Amino acid sequence: MSETKSSNYNSFDTLDGSHPFKDVVEDGYVDYEARSRKGAKIRYFNFDLAKQMGLIPKSHPNGLNNKLSEKIIKTFSLMIINEYDIEQNRDFSKDKIKDSKFMATRYLQLQHDDKKGLSSGDGRSIWNGQFKNGKETWDITSCGTGGTRLSPATTKFNKFFENGDPSISYGCGFAEIDEGIAQALFSEVFYKNKIKTERTLLVLEFEKGYAINVRAHPSLLRPSHFFIHLKQGNYDNLKNLVDYYIDSQRHTKQWASCPSDKSKYDFFLNQMAINFGNMASVFENEYIFCWLDWDGDNILMDGSIIDYGSIRQFGMFHSEYRYDDVDRFSTSILEQRDKAKYIIQNFAQLVDYIKTKEKKNLKEFKNDKSLDLFDKEFEDEKNRNILKKIGLDEKETNILIEQKLKLVKDFRKIYNYFERAKSSKGLIKVSDGISWDAIFCMRDIMREIPKIIIAKKEKISDRDFIDIIKSHYATEEDTQISSYRSKMIKGFQDKYWDIITEISLINKHSFEKQILKLSFRASKVNKFARVTGDSISLIVEQILKKKNSICADDLYEMIDDFSSVQSIYDDSRDADKLKHRDLLMQFFRIVKEHREGL
Amino acid sequence: MKLVLYSGGTDEENVVLDKKLIELSGKKNPQITFIPSSSYFIESEFMEFASQFQKYRVNNLINFPVDVEYSEILKNEVLKSDIIYLGGGNTFYFLKHLRKSGFLKELKGFVKDGGVLAGLSAGAIMMTNNIMTASFPDFDRDDNDENIKNLKALNLVSFDFFPHYKNSLRYDNELIEHANKTQKKVYSCPDGSGIIIDEQRIEFIGKTFVFYKGEKFSLR
Repeated sequence: MSETKSSNYNSFDTLDGSHPFKDVVEDGYVDYEARSRKGAKIRYFNFDLAKQMGLIPKSHPNGLNNKLSEKIIKTFSLMIINEYDIEQNRDFSKDKIKDSKFMATRYLQLQHDDKKGLSSGDGRSIWNGQFKNGKETWDITSCGTGGTRLSPATTKFNKFFENGDPSISYGCGFAEIDEGIAQALFSEVFYKNKIKTERTLLVLEFEKGYAINVRAHPSLLRPSHFFIHLKQGNYDNLKNLVDYYIDSQRHTKQWASCPSDKSKYDFFLNQMAINFGNMASVFENEYIFCWLDWDGDNILMDGSIIDYGSIRQFGMFHSEYRYDDVDRFSTSILEQRDKAKYIIQNFAQLVDYIKTKEKKNLKEFKNDKSLDLFDKEFEDEKNRNILKKIGLDEKETNILIEQKLKLVKDFRKIYNYFERAKSSKGLIKVSDGISWDAIFCMRDIMREIPKIIIAKKEKISDRDFIDIIKSHYATEEDTQISSYRSKMIKGFQDKYWDIITEISLINKHSFEKQILKLSFRASKVNKFARVTGDSISLIVEQILKKKNSICADDLYEMIDDFSSVQSIYDDSRDADKLKHRDLLMQFFRIVKEHREGL
Repeated sequence: MKLVLYSGGTDEENVVLDKKLIELSGKKNPQITFIPSSSYFIESEFMEFASQFQKYRVNNLINFPVDVEYSEILKNEVLKSDIIYLGGGNTFYFLKHLRKSGFLKELKGFVKDGGVLAGLSAGAIMMTNNIMTASFPDFDRDDNDENIKNLKALNLVSFDFFPHYKNSLRYDNELIEHANKTQKKVYSCPDGSGIIIDEQRIEFIGKTFVFYKGEKFSLR
């Protein structure tokens, strides 16, 4: 404690805009001078993440003190001096201007017309730097620090904009407080459910609801940081960046065996195929909508989620939902796999280019071996996931996949039939796009069926099965039991019972003991009330309504508790010991009420 | 009527009550349904509950929250259980959802038909006439977040029940005042103690204090 009190938090001083990327890719970024921005209030600070990164000591209390607050604001409350400021000859007090420069990186973005990334990248973000704690490195960026020349607005209107220019909305370079809190909340829920994601370190609030949202991850590089050089045919930049990335990954477990000779590029490609095959599968399994496209934006190199602007988690498999982005619709959740695979095809082209110095046509890589690896990883994760939903642990899953793969696949096929069943109402308009409602809530049957087996010790009727599985989206017509559906219900139950029998034989447990064990896990994994995108938005509204009575320390505690309760891996929370019980109970109620939605 | 009222506490503290509860069912491996006070923390609560009873080789265990939609088929199976165990938590929230789901009525029928009903803390209070004892003392009470007005509960016993009792003046003053107001006995149990009702017979396990007509008595 005394160490904390006397700490000057010097670790923050290393976040001065310096980053090895600047030495690796000479023209891969635009450097900006920055000045201190007045009026910042700390709205959220992620103590757990700061400790994990080593920014503050592990023994630090989960509360802000004056020194820490001052240091945070000094480090992160920044506004860039952009091209507009320079054009206008704006004069800023020298003592407010930071000594070093902060980069906005260039990367490919499909919304920019040139499709080559000549003017796209961090439109309202800068990189604070890279933090090293001895074992790991962490990239840290801030969103909302002013409009850069890489913003879509600058390209579209061919002029520079003043920071915060209200006429240009997204292009003004500012971020908003609701974005920041939603991102903090959503990313912590995903993180605690072991879904790869960036995390929010800090949300600084300014007047008019503006904010600076600071994110962190071991590497904030996206595929689009690489594809920009591929599209532009800039061999040196591309090779330098890939070499840098490979070197930076060697210390991680998965990359420990990465060779140091030229075959490292094949290793790199295989690792990308594994990352993206797994990621696409996890997104589909967990109903995570992430707008993936060929540009490799909106995703990090290890398959982590970045940019929560369009991220959603559906309560059911609403596979036809598309976000309406004014001039185009997004991809759907089912198309994510193809998009992710296409990104790997681009990586195959990229690796070949590095190895041969000859950039071949992308089509030549449509049968590349890395795509098979992608598919294999995707399928493997699918098989594992279905067994996880039944309630099997990792060891049981491994054995069953090794010994009874056909049974697992057969069950998955029937599961898919119910999961993908859609409403007879057809395509409908929703608040921010279009959708075609899923009608069956698979979490409900996977959670309830072991309990029914414990109690009833026999299979259930078709009608009972449908009554458990039907959601509020299902009409009477949707829940009719045709002979085919009846056959599928029988198949579902037969295969389910077969899996339980197999696993009880493997474990040498009685069927009764085995099903009880599975019911614990199934109940956790298939939570009745799991967050959706809608529920996150409504919770953020509640937080903002009460923001004057919620300080940063309170918000940290709330988000920490909420995300732990939402985690399938965390049992640490006790209802009676929640510090902000009243508000959290409201959040839980919101989650419950919106559990089937978008 | 077969009832077991637990105050609270750890598994180890409740061994006697647990064994008596199983005995009361007349079966070695009875089917026990756990109804938590809310579904929000059900996974960890049920795990704890199950490990508590698996020690006695009881494996027929089901969790059944009533504050979320449930299937008729499971409800029917729950009502065929040998024992229904009402969990602890916020008594107001629990009562609201037991009433809303129609389960208050169902539980009365279950007990009448010979089922064993157990309850811990909020779950035990639920067996009394009303849940007023959850609303005091100020320093240790449940919040009525749901703002429910009808506090009537199962009314299976003629006394009031006060769980997690601590032998101190702060509690005593409030309990004496409450007993004077209601003219009913208030059985106050520290954690680890409880009450067993087997038809006409009432048994107190561990220390129990009675507050009645302005007086406090210790039963053991």
